Amino acid sequence: MNVILQSSRFGELQIPAEAVLDFPAGLIGLGGRRFALLARSEESAFVWLHSMDDPDLAVPVTNPWRFFEDYEIELGDDEAERLGISGPEDASIYVTVRSAPALDDFCANLRAPILVVGNQGHQVINQAAIAPVRAPLFAGLQEEPSRAA
Amino acid sequence: MLIITRRPGEKIMVGDDVVVEIIEVSGSSVRIGIAAPKSIPVYREEIWAAVQAENRAAAASDVAQLPDDVPTPSKKS
Repeated sequence: MNVILQSSRFGELQIPAEAVLDFPAGLIGLGGRRFALLARSEESAFVWLHSMDDPDLAVPVTNPWRFFEDYEIELGDDEAERLGISGPEDASIYVTVRSAPALDDFCANLRAPILVVGNQGHQVINQAAIAPVRAPLFAGLQEEPSRAA
Repeated sequence: MLIITRRPGEKIMVGDDVVVEIIEVSGSSVRIGIAAPKSIPVYREEIWAAVQAENRAAAASDVAQLPDDVPTPSKKS
């Protein structure tokens, strides 16, 4: 069964009911409980986490390890227990992205990753020492001029 | 805003479920323990505000700015 998603960015979309994620606490400071992940293709670097209830609310997210190889997430035991996870294999992990006219100005929020566990989503605070709220997404590429060709 | 005086070891109830305990006062800092139901996340306000601002900025992202195929760092072998 499909659920209709009205999106101001993408128009009307049919979302399989089982793909709708429940965010019991919403996104931090934004709220919202029901979201769906929208990708153009399997290979898309950017996936939209779209509110099922607010046609305007959608946040681009990405797999952090695609851009930050050494990224680490540290959660307190209490929090891991609250989310029902015992290790990284129990969750799909995304970080939010802010786009900009130039790729150089794209940033990801490594401090507040989004963990998808089953059909639930949780934005959590990463306790790792190096986890900036605004990490340049393409900074690592500058050391690889061969990729620019 | 409710403003009340508490001593170390004393507690405050927020509703029936949230207990805020003053653990220790030392100089200008106060250690606070918070016991809340699992369903209620607890954040430091400045981190909550920074993440809220970043979430809002991300939500303002423009579809046209997000390329389908972006360069990504090659995996170290």
